[in-house]
Amino acid sequence: MVRVELKHITRKYQATSESSEEDAKRPALDDVSMTIEDGSIVSIVGPSGCGKSTLLKTIAGLEYADSGQILYNNVDVTRIEPGQRGVGMVFQDYALYPTMKGKGNLHYYFEVHQRTEAEMEQRTREIAQIMGVGFEVLIGQKTDTLSGGEQQRVAIGRCIVRDPYVFLMDEPISNLDAKLRERTRIEIKKMLRKFKVTTVYVTHDQQEAIFMGDRIAVMRKGKVEQYGTFDDLYFTPANLFVATFIGTPPMSVIPAVVANGRLMIDQAGWTLPDEIAAALNGQSHLRFGMRAEGWEVDAPDGIPMEVRYIDRIPTEQAAFAHGTLGGISVTVIIPIDHPEVTTMRVTPRWDQTYFFDATTETALRTPGVPDLF
Amino acid sequence: MSLFPKVGRNQPGLRVTWTLVVAVLCIGIFLHLIPFYFMIVTSLKTAPEIMRIPPTLLPENPTLAAWQLVFQVSAGSTILRQPLYQYFLNSCIMAFGTLALSLPITSFAAYANSKLQRGRGARWTFLFFIGTLMVPAAVTLIPTFLLTRNFPFPVPTVPNIPGTETPFPVIRTWNTAWAVIIPGVFSAFNFLLFKGFFDTIPNSIIQAARVDGGSEFNIFRRIVLPMSIPVFAVAAYLQFSGVWDSFMWPLLVIQDSTRSPMSVAIYNLINVFMSTGTMRPQASLATNEQIRQLQEAGLSWNGLVVLGILQTIPIFIMFIVSRNYLLKGVKIRGLK
Repeated sequence: MVRVELKHITRKYQATSESSEEDAKRPALDDVSMTIEDGSIVSIVGPSGCGKSTLLKTIAGLEYADSGQILYNNVDVTRIEPGQRGVGMVFQDYALYPTMKGKGNLHYYFEVHQRTEAEMEQRTREIAQIMGVGFEVLIGQKTDTLSGGEQQRVAIGRCIVRDPYVFLMDEPISNLDAKLRERTRIEIKKMLRKFKVTTVYVTHDQQEAIFMGDRIAVMRKGKVEQYGTFDDLYFTPANLFVATFIGTPPMSVIPAVVANGRLMIDQAGWTLPDEIAAALNGQSHLRFGMRAEGWEVDAPDGIPMEVRYIDRIPTEQAAFAHGTLGGISVTVIIPIDHPEVTTMRVTPRWDQTYFFDATTETALRTPGVPDLF
Repeated sequence: MSLFPKVGRNQPGLRVTWTLVVAVLCIGIFLHLIPFYFMIVTSLKTAPEIMRIPPTLLPENPTLAAWQLVFQVSAGSTILRQPLYQYFLNSCIMAFGTLALSLPITSFAAYANSKLQRGRGARWTFLFFIGTLMVPAAVTLIPTFLLTRNFPFPVPTVPNIPGTETPFPVIRTWNTAWAVIIPGVFSAFNFLLFKGFFDTIPNSIIQAARVDGGSEFNIFRRIVLPMSIPVFAVAAYLQFSGVWDSFMWPLLVIQDSTRSPMSVAIYNLINVFMSTGTMRPQASLATNEQIRQLQEAGLSWNGLVVLGILQTIPIFIMFIVSRNYLLKGVKIRGLK
């Protein structure tokens, strides 16, 4: 079991003629520091091209950092080859060796490390037991006859057969179809719980990141914007990007003006409670963020919101009202039996409001993690 | 066979096109087969029948005399300075020697360019290698010839080491099989072929193998090579037929006629037949006597055609061996 520490990792790719002007200038990883605790699962999430795969490859040793340090249990591995690091990696396209059978895929590690035949067979049998029903059959087959899900099982088997210190997963389930994805995700999670291996899980899907990770790192343009638990990210986002990236439906962000103790959106507005006004440092032009569940509807001091349509979700016993406020799309959760209307009066629940600086986009006021237990 | 696919053949619009395509292909096949047919038929004809105009389509008195005679002549005579198998062997040494060096070197180069190099460096290396395809062979002929004389100086006389009378040490491959093998070791076309295939191998497979701890060479040998067997077959076929059929280059660099390959030996034989009148008296007497005997026995062009057939057979065998891969084209695996 290993604690992975990244210290000020910077990685710049050589610019090629294909990369755009902006991409060529900024590094793929820009001063990334984070600590992945022993046995914990960390999801790295972010839009495509944000450097999350590069970060994973740097941890694996497939890419070397231009500057910075990577420590496994306080041992510097920055310049150590991937084969010597004792990591296991699962790729998005499974990356099974196509000319070998499943078994050969599992055996390659032992072959290049000059382990004994007996140890190899022994480990393969153990893994087959852990991986459950039918795995023996799978690894007896040519890999190109297997389905996507089966190939991914073999790839995960190949990864854990070596008993890795660190488990790295690069979007392992995004090539599977929706139903299988759901199932595989639960299987992987169960397996990781059982092994208690330090895991880094890269994905572009925030739902998946939330489900898999004990902690989540949100990346943008080579920088880690925020690193923390889901509650940290959800209730105390560091900036506007993290706030809008995490949560479904996404947070509505409305440009707002504070004037005379009132929060004004276009012409209408609400009276701002004193404790929130104090948190805003007297700034007048702001970004006002609200999640769908933070609104109160039909309160006396509400301002009118134009409703475009109401999306009723019977399984959730709720409905989403999609409307426009101050020219911005806003989603509000309403009771499922709310009548069909064209405008509705909305008021924020002030303890659930988010405020961001209009220019730097850093958070000025967030609800804070609720103390539920 | 998927040479003429069945898909859509019942569409009335496609039917005409399909028939036309098949017709054109059949004509093409027919045209390609005529020379082979003519070679085989000619080798079975008697000497007078070969010269007849118009030529006969089928031999009137099929005879294997030419075949027998060729093997008699090839056993050693004044016409051929060596038994025929010696020339055959020379050709084999050159062709397989080239293959043995060229396949690893070209495929390593392509693999390194495709998977180990990155960015601008990779691009320029690639362009450099491909650029060699754009230089016409006629341009490089004389410099390469001079290089076989005094490697690494592409000049006729080796310069002296400055301040001394001794010339620089040089490597001379001229008049040996190496002179044919070494210039063929790097084949830019095969490089392109390999590189095109290696580019289709997902990087993640290579990375997975690196995480598993394989060295770059082990990854190439255990993972990339088994995937690329079809490409190797195609490259080997192209290279083999290229060297086996090469005529001008071995003629130029191999002076000792006992070392020349089949293609050159056959050409010499034709020359002997055609130039018997222009020889020195004694030599021509002996040679003429031989030729007279041969011609009495019924050998003329039919014998040369037999030699031609023998020359083609190895390429034909190579084709049969790699046929599956050639016809299938390069089947890309590992992309699924």
